[in-house]
Amino acid sequence: MIQSDQVLATVEMIQKENLDVRTVTMGINLLDCRGGDVAETCAKVEKRIIDYAGNFVETCNKISKKLGIPVVNKRISVTPIAFVGAGFKKEGFIKLAKSLDKAATIVGVDILGGFSAQVEKGMTETDREYIASIPEALAQTEKICASINIATTQKGINMDALAMVGQTVKDLAESTADSGGFGAAKFVIFCNQPGDNPFMAGAIHGLEEADAVLNVGVSGPGVIARALERLIEKDTDKTLTLDQIAEEIKQTTFRVTRCGELIGRKVSEELDIEFGVVDLSLAPTPAIGDSVGEIFKILGVDSVGAPGSTAILAMLNDAVKKGGIFASKTVGGLSGAFIPVMEDAVLAEAVGEGALTLEKLEAMTCVCSVGLDMVAIPGSVDAETISAIIADEMALGMINSKTTAARLIPVPGKEAGEHVSFGGLFGASPIMPVNNVGKSGRFIQWGGRIPAPIHSFKN
Amino acid sequence: MKKQMIISVMSKDRPGIVAEVTGAIYSLNGDLADLNQSVVCGYFTMILSATFDGKVTREDVTAELLQINTQERFEVSIKELDSETDFTQPETPEETYVMTVLGPNRSGLVHGISQFCYAHRINIIDLSTTLRNDIYTMVLQLDLTRASELSEIETDLERYNRDSGLNILLQHNDIFKVTSEVTLR
Repeated sequence: MIQSDQVLATVEMIQKENLDVRTVTMGINLLDCRGGDVAETCAKVEKRIIDYAGNFVETCNKISKKLGIPVVNKRISVTPIAFVGAGFKKEGFIKLAKSLDKAATIVGVDILGGFSAQVEKGMTETDREYIASIPEALAQTEKICASINIATTQKGINMDALAMVGQTVKDLAESTADSGGFGAAKFVIFCNQPGDNPFMAGAIHGLEEADAVLNVGVSGPGVIARALERLIEKDTDKTLTLDQIAEEIKQTTFRVTRCGELIGRKVSEELDIEFGVVDLSLAPTPAIGDSVGEIFKILGVDSVGAPGSTAILAMLNDAVKKGGIFASKTVGGLSGAFIPVMEDAVLAEAVGEGALTLEKLEAMTCVCSVGLDMVAIPGSVDAETISAIIADEMALGMINSKTTAARLIPVPGKEAGEHVSFGGLFGASPIMPVNNVGKSGRFIQWGGRIPAPIHSFKN
Repeated sequence: MKKQMIISVMSKDRPGIVAEVTGAIYSLNGDLADLNQSVVCGYFTMILSATFDGKVTREDVTAELLQINTQERFEVSIKELDSETDFTQPETPEETYVMTVLGPNRSGLVHGISQFCYAHRINIIDLSTTLRNDIYTMVLQLDLTRASELSEIETDLERYNRDSGLNILLQHNDIFKVTSEVTLR
């Protein structure tokens, strides 16, 4: 028998509250696609992707239509490409990027991630060639995202790689100056990068994975925001407390995650590809009513970044995990609240008001996933300062045994307070001021490694 | 030889009706299978299926039920089935959807929606409606196995939605299930 209140709760979720599955991402192993030369490798890579993902988009669309839940993005992640192209030169990696782009276009996915390397301890000659290829590879392709893991809790931080990627971020932005430095939005630097994250730009198909796997990213900040608004509206006698609010977030996340789990299972069954994980992240979009920042305001700070913001985020992040873990058979990836500034209209607004600063944002990333994400900074900030900002973010992840990442966009020719817009899901934001520019050069120039932290004596 | 009957009983609601009706069936050595009861505006209604020995007739069951001492007489209707049928509820078909309809109360709402379903060869498996604060809410569980193409239904439903001023949404039953049940099969 149907209980109408339960049905109506689901109806509200779907119709009014931006419930969607943010992404279904197919991870594809490319390790055995290595050929005798670049051209042969590229051909094998293209064939592999088309073989596995030929009817991926169509299947997702069919199931999405049948169940009435939008699957916003269909994406592919591949084995970190530096492993696939071992021994290639920069030009070889650029050709590989173009092949990946071609295959992604043929199968019709939105984005392909995994133009990546893992250099947390040391860099091979291949890794250096790969890093050198990134600006051109991303500027000459449309759908490719790059990421690099330069730190882990187990191995420490590779400061040589760190110094290089600060410059890569600058070069990427410069090479795409006509679009506001958009290239830098497709490159993310990680500490403790997961191998099963379905979200971009940091999705890879980790070396530990099987030949092909489907991972699902659920979202739903709008669903949580509306549920909280309803809860608060009902609180006419002012007895509502934070533990009850956390409980509401938990239960709402359960429902949202279940929709992701259902879609993942159905697509996996239809394509006969193993279902990997549901990533329980709260990923905002620039659309009105689909913001993580809005939840901060509902919960009682007038601007995101005001004192209390970190505590709110800690509670939100934890409640999302608690609700989601039980809803899904296997949870993985990043699983937490994202605060990508440009992709969240309320966060971007807080930057414009001066309420949300880089320092506060960094503090907030201690208690959520992922890190300094989609932060537009002045184009004049030098590469060493960018490296140093990334180093701080890596240190947070390394010490706290969590994933952190940095996706900074030094917008060419623009200064703090000016505005940049990438359109679509990538959003828009005022440019965030950076304090103490040019004061960290000596630190970055040391190179070498920051040793791995001790794993006991946690107090 | 066993005999199956479908029995429906309607009466003004009060405590004890289920006990009395099932007691009457028990006294005839009847074996209950599926049973559904509901109360609308203070009136109780129940439909059930039961198996009896071959010699028990419809008249015997009616007599037993009408013997019950009650202020308001039961309205009883009995259908005797020819042969033994499997009465276990079928699994919900793969193409089961849930339709919700919300709108200001006016006459003809249920008729309009059920006519829409009929025209699209949609079978209504379950239906419940409530009227609160002059807002009429209908929740229908629908089997679309033999229905028109989903895209056609959706297009027509959109038009119906627009023309009627109602808020109608069609969602797959699985979405409803996974978000409201603990077990995920």
